[in-house]
Amino acid sequence: MNQRTIIVQRDVLADQKADAAVERKRLGRRGTLVINLLSSPGAGKTTLLEATARHFAGRRSMAVLVGDLETDRDAQRLAPLVPVAQLTTGGACHLELPLVQRGLKALGDPVVDFLFIENVGNLVCPASHDLGEHLRVVLISTTEGDDKPGKYPKMFRTSQAMVITKLDLLPHVPFSVDTVTEDALRIQPELKVLTNCALDGSGISRWCDFLEQQHQQRLAMYHEPAGNR
Amino acid sequence: MHERSLVQNLLRQVEQIVAAEGGGQVAEICVQAGDLSGVEPLLFQMAFADMAPAVFSSSCQLALEVVPVTAVCSQCDHRFEIVDFQFRCPVCQAGSVQVLQGDEVKLISVTINSKHSIEGVAS
Repeated sequence: MNQRTIIVQRDVLADQKADAAVERKRLGRRGTLVINLLSSPGAGKTTLLEATARHFAGRRSMAVLVGDLETDRDAQRLAPLVPVAQLTTGGACHLELPLVQRGLKALGDPVVDFLFIENVGNLVCPASHDLGEHLRVVLISTTEGDDKPGKYPKMFRTSQAMVITKLDLLPHVPFSVDTVTEDALRIQPELKVLTNCALDGSGISRWCDFLEQQHQQRLAMYHEPAGNR
Repeated sequence: MHERSLVQNLLRQVEQIVAAEGGGQVAEICVQAGDLSGVEPLLFQMAFADMAPAVFSSSCQLALEVVPVTAVCSQCDHRFEIVDFQFRCPVCQAGSVQVLQGDEVKLISVTINSKHSIEGVAS
């Protein structure tokens, strides 16, 4: 009997990350900014997307892939506004790239300015999975409490922007925008922080301006011949 | 749930390595999980104990090591350990730091038992 040890030193998710990088490049080159939207259940991802679709209507094109454990309720809400495909995970707690690719195919692989992936409501597992996005945005609603960033550090560390939602409820709930911002910036000092209330529309144009600016900045590398992402 | 998905990816990688090495029985798989990998070590071990015997033999062992998060400052090149998930350089206070280790689950090594002589096989 021979025993030998093979040294590997490889990320367990290396294949998944490599596939995600290929998808990111493919979509980036044709001018699509892919945004992975993450939050707890009920933080307002779908409501924010409805408001975003209304704001961009006739000016910018977008499509949505929406992930849930069961039902197509979110897709039904968004269908009157934008092309949308529901991804049901059948109990799985996060989306993975093959599901996203299947959803894109179901939509006919549309060429749009913005492709939003509304992840499964969960601040834990989705943080570990690269879906080929250019921008990761975490939502936190004022009703959730301002102690979340420190409790779920990976989610906030891997995001580039944090959107504080349901701002209209601030007078009624014990939530401090300063506390949550401070907590999040300790974990990700480069995080862009935005606030809004999608129901009354406040903060939506600022959010959409931010998306436009990100579209320009993050996709610029694909126009250069030396772009190597 | 999430740990099961990671174990599935791990087992797939080990299967490929064993095949590339010409087969054999997997005795031990060494894995490093960082503090920022999103993995709970106990749940990972439970998922492994549940899933690995179906792919390899039941004697296949998992050696799981938890490693701290380390980072390097993009401004002053200071290398430091991240404590309490505070990602700011303790020397120059810059917020732009690159994580060097601790944000992933890494397959470190695979130990294989084979009945045959391994002459001519580089290990």
